[in-house]
Amino acid sequence: MTSHWCDFQNTDVILHCGSNSVENHPVSSKWLEKAHEQGARWIVVDPRYTRTAEMADVYCPIRSGTDIAFYGGMYRYIIENLIEPNRAKYLAGEEVPEYNFEYLLNYTNASYLLDPEFEFDPATGLFSGFDEQNKTYSNHSWHYQVESESTWDTSESGAYAWAAGEGVPEFTPPVVEHPKRDMTLSDPMCVYQQFKAHYDRYDIETVCSICGMDEKTLELVYSTYTSTAAVGKAGMVLYALGQTQHTYGAQNTRAMCIMQLLLGNIGVAGGGVNALRGEPNVQGATDMGMMVNEHPAYLKWPNTSDRSSLRAWLESQTYSDGYYTNKPKFLVSSLKEWFGQAATVENDYGYDWWPKVPKKPDYTMISSFELMQQGVIKGYFNWGMNPAHSAPNAGNVRRSMANLDWLVVADWVETESASFWKAPDMNPADIDTTVYFLPAALIYEKPGIILNSGRWMQYRYQAVDPWDQAKPDYEICDLLWREICRLYKEEGGANPDPILNTKWDYYVDGKIDPRPVAWALNGYRTGDSDFSQGKVDLLKGYSELGADGSTACAMWIYSGFWNNNDAPLDASKQPIGRRNNEDRSGIGLYSDWAFSWPSNRRILYNRASADLAGKPWNPEKKLVEWTGDAWNQIDQADFVAAKDGAAVPPDDKAFFMLWEQGARLESYGMEDGPLPEFFEPFESPVDSNPLNGAVSSPLARFTDYASVKKGDSADYPIIATTYSVTEHWQTGGQSRSCPALVEAMPDQFVEMSVELAAEKGIANGDKVRVFNNRGSVVVPALVTKRIKPFTVHGETVHQIGMTHHYSWAGVFGTRDTVNDLTPNVGDPNTQVPEYKAFLVEVEKA
Amino acid sequence: MNVTRRGFLKASGVAAASVVALDLTSKSKAFAAEPQNDWKLENTKEYTNICCYCAGGCGLLCSVRDGELINLEGDPDHPINQGGLCPKGATMSQLRNIVDPETHEMVKNPDRKTKPMVRRPGASEWEEISWEDAVKEIARNVKDTRDASFVESEDGLVVNRCNGIASLGGSQQNSEEEYLILKMMRSLGIVAIDNQARV
Amino acid sequence: MADKAILYDSSKCTACKGCQVACKCWNDLPSPTGKNENVFSGSYQNPPDINGITRMIITLEEHDAPEGSLKPVAWAFNRRSCKHCADAGCVRVCPSGALSHDEETGFVRLERSKCIGCQYCSSACPFDVPRYEESGPLSQRTTVEKCTGCLDRVAEGMAPACVSTCQPNALRFGDRDEMIALAHERVAYLKERGFSDACVYGETEMGGLHVISVLKYGVEKHGEVVSPKMSPTVAMQEVMKPVTAIGTGLTVAGLAAMFALGVGYKRRTLAYNPDTQDTIDVNTGEVVKHGDGQDELSVKEHILENLPLGKGGRHE
Repeated sequence: MTSHWCDFQNTDVILHCGSNSVENHPVSSKWLEKAHEQGARWIVVDPRYTRTAEMADVYCPIRSGTDIAFYGGMYRYIIENLIEPNRAKYLAGEEVPEYNFEYLLNYTNASYLLDPEFEFDPATGLFSGFDEQNKTYSNHSWHYQVESESTWDTSESGAYAWAAGEGVPEFTPPVVEHPKRDMTLSDPMCVYQQFKAHYDRYDIETVCSICGMDEKTLELVYSTYTSTAAVGKAGMVLYALGQTQHTYGAQNTRAMCIMQLLLGNIGVAGGGVNALRGEPNVQGATDMGMMVNEHPAYLKWPNTSDRSSLRAWLESQTYSDGYYTNKPKFLVSSLKEWFGQAATVENDYGYDWWPKVPKKPDYTMISSFELMQQGVIKGYFNWGMNPAHSAPNAGNVRRSMANLDWLVVADWVETESASFWKAPDMNPADIDTTVYFLPAALIYEKPGIILNSGRWMQYRYQAVDPWDQAKPDYEICDLLWREICRLYKEEGGANPDPILNTKWDYYVDGKIDPRPVAWALNGYRTGDSDFSQGKVDLLKGYSELGADGSTACAMWIYSGFWNNNDAPLDASKQPIGRRNNEDRSGIGLYSDWAFSWPSNRRILYNRASADLAGKPWNPEKKLVEWTGDAWNQIDQADFVAAKDGAAVPPDDKAFFMLWEQGARLESYGMEDGPLPEFFEPFESPVDSNPLNGAVSSPLARFTDYASVKKGDSADYPIIATTYSVTEHWQTGGQSRSCPALVEAMPDQFVEMSVELAAEKGIANGDKVRVFNNRGSVVVPALVTKRIKPFTVHGETVHQIGMTHHYSWAGVFGTRDTVNDLTPNVGDPNTQVPEYKAFLVEVEKA
Repeated sequence: MNVTRRGFLKASGVAAASVVALDLTSKSKAFAAEPQNDWKLENTKEYTNICCYCAGGCGLLCSVRDGELINLEGDPDHPINQGGLCPKGATMSQLRNIVDPETHEMVKNPDRKTKPMVRRPGASEWEEISWEDAVKEIARNVKDTRDASFVESEDGLVVNRCNGIASLGGSQQNSEEEYLILKMMRSLGIVAIDNQARV
Repeated sequence: MADKAILYDSSKCTACKGCQVACKCWNDLPSPTGKNENVFSGSYQNPPDINGITRMIITLEEHDAPEGSLKPVAWAFNRRSCKHCADAGCVRVCPSGALSHDEETGFVRLERSKCIGCQYCSSACPFDVPRYEESGPLSQRTTVEKCTGCLDRVAEGMAPACVSTCQPNALRFGDRDEMIALAHERVAYLKERGFSDACVYGETEMGGLHVISVLKYGVEKHGEVVSPKMSPTVAMQEVMKPVTAIGTGLTVAGLAAMFALGVGYKRRTLAYNPDTQDTIDVNTGEVVKHGDGQDELSVKEHILENLPLGKGGRHE
């Protein structure tokens, strides 16, 4: 989230799209309800009428997978009703209270001129730069035209003197490009004009025909939500997996960002693009970069192309301007923490000990099962994750896992992954995998740090001992690591250096302890720290980081959360342990409660909450304010508010995590196009796309894997989507082990309209078989008025919804595995699977 | 555990002796942390924690007596949930202990697995294994697979990559654990690292 | 102390059921644990009703949206549990004193140590609340179950468990007058927002309930009892009270009267005689389990013994 839970109360209009937060993030209801009571309007756009929809004022059904058409229509509505009628007036100096031109012109790249070769062809659905053979884009033509260039001053008195300092690895600093701009937004190559032309095709009639919407309802949604374009008004969009689990999920997310930028809703109280994260510490795991190509704290992991050496990394990753000019400090400090004294400037701080990710094959989750089938991946760790149930095309997952030599599952219960060999469709005698189940401690049986969706870092204190032989994951890791190190020390083996040079000294009184790991995450000065002696010199924050080996820090964005050198072993005396719930801000920032990364900022990009002169758009809900000689920071400034002790007066650099320091309506950073363009899901009930010549996304990933078994709408005419209920959670390993929750929702079900049920002769509660080429499951029907058939391009299309919490494992409740049906295809940016729209057929079982 | 019931049984003099405690599994054992009086939270110590379901970050209060969890509910001081919890959060104590419907006694949750287990090739059942043996065997497997699938350099470039092992998960762990898992896996040379953020 | 009340606002309730399970957890109530023993109700409402181990549930009913609504459906949520009537039939008929009004709060207290399982209360309740089920250890099968208002928490200055856990602030706890005022305020707000049937429930029903509800779509759509009335059996059962007050065998006597008058309970249920410590099948009068203090008298004999016409009666 760019914002946080308690900020929901500050909004004027709530838009749920791809989220059912009242059911799946129930605490959201507390804060949404506060906003609602204060007069906020509430819109829910969802394929079915959910418990969230019941709370809202406006409900607009949408066919699964058509969000970009919906957002594109909104852009056109904004341009047609707010920007174009007022642009000339604004440029002539007149007041335009209903639209925030100052935000659009100064804080976004609307005025930047794009490369003259930038192009989009509606006939093919492709942007310029497409490589037909590899089905990838070159983003060259998506960049800006350059007005002028400048270079870093690395001289002794220069702003970048550190880059030439002793101990800093050698690299050539990037050249700063200053883009060409047209502040009247009239140049045909400016982002705004290209954008306007692109979305001209997204008229309300076309959008409704694609999305299966009613024009009047859609207009009401557009007019209600775009009312937040007025200066001082805020609208917030809440989304979750309903947006991301598509073959264009990342573009859905981009689409929301663009909508919020056009409406001036990012960086303000009650605004933002709010991803409601679904796992307790998925924010932490994302921050940690626990993914193939990621490095902790939003840096990239080494690879064999543009990050093949430390120098290549520094030169390809360091931004020319903005805060990410500091990336060399972050990376070198990370290497220093990773390899300790073994990391020196001479050996590139150990950079080459880190494995390099190849271009091919792909190693992300969906592909990992293909690699198991091919015999490449032979050993597998599952840490509290349950792919035999949760991964798409779960039957394929189980069959793939059967090729493993060994599997280690650390969990609380015997998950479907731990017992994949016991699945109803598996024969244990044929499976040679050795499976280890390691009992893990519950969350209140161990201490540690967790992050919520609003980036708050909070501390969990251990309440009771782990039951029986269960152990915390940190202890499990330590046991394994020490034994692996022992084997390599004693026996040698394939290059032991990366293992034996790894710093692993997180012990207190000789026992593995999470607190020294917290020191590593916060960062420390290497000179005065020696964990083996219990000595640490914690950094106050990331501004103290160096690129010369003098500091070590695993996670620069967290720096400052555990910085009290007076009590380094006491969480309650660290910023993370703060428990003052007084709200000094009056708008629920709760800045004295725990710690919010980065630097205790509660609302990201908060510079954009004030105008060019630093005056808040909404004086009732201000975050920062220029008082004439300094910044009044109600929230911690997310920009350079002071430098070398002197206040920095307001400028237009509202997004300083980007090199251009203005937010992107058009972005060259996406794999599948610089602007979101509508495509049908991989499996779609319709075979035409009125907006462009491609039906599905030409860049959808993994579609060529044989295991995918694409279904045709002739055989499988019904759209299916999957989702969760309040009473259960994910694969149910936890919630199905709580009897009160099994009692409160004893089954999974297929929700279907009264119309479809009548067509198929199905009554409420009947057992129904739902099937496609990948699998077949039997679940009870829940026939409801809350789902209605859609009219798409004049035809009736049925959609069903399925919950997915049950499977064969567990002692209280077991059923079929719904993910046997979902397709193992994914998004080209994130490789996230398309769980949210696929095809099935249903019949009475 | 069941304060009011125990109080009731005692006060009313109704014979409870004839009631046979029916364990849910042979391994579960009823336990009783005898309260000091009828107030459920008498002599308990409170520990704060954070919920293990969605990423709301709701605060919890765990009430503990004699080393056992007596109650778990929302932390009223917590600014986000202000004492509230959804059904999943509100039942979080059941991950450890549940009420046996036969005896109305608090027992260990029979779904929870608290001993290391191994399933051998071709076997249709689990076997118990000691932690020590499990760790030794796993480390040996890791080494064998790593040694067999390790690529030190490729096209003249040092890559130090172990192709044969994958690691999945991390969103359930605390951040320190995420770092240790990541550090262990990357230092082994593993690139097939993913977690719930991918789905 | 002024009377207290729980305020339930159906327009803020998200039907998450946090309250339903928090009640179980605080009060150590079990749930069925057999493999797949819980059966799906065909709706989000599970279990489908309150029962001997479930003191409250959230109910969900789907209706066509009211005319003029911007939405296609009206999904009406409600909270089903004891409403703690001021004029409580259950208290009136309870022969053993297990049900009584808590003086501090006005809530209907249930002291299971005194309950003898006669179930008069169940038949007397216009909301069909006190439930009796053959589950749990035998020693507890002889009592009814219902919401206690978490008076243990209230006495310690805490709100009932259901209220504490409510995320959207749909449940509040406080002085009854204040809760009623809040309810009216909310109904006015809802009417302004187009919910023309919104109403306050519980202000006057049954002499005033201690659960005040805001019903967004009106009483019927939330499945709430329209104009609840004192059950006619209450008056008849009350006749028995002076009799039963005499002492020995009082419960059984009451039961017999019910049989004699032909108005009693038809459910197959068990009752308990505290004197003999016998467990009795209410329908057949058979002693299904003898207590420690064995006695040889049949239930019928007990009944006769205690009826006004018998030796313990007023003719003495």
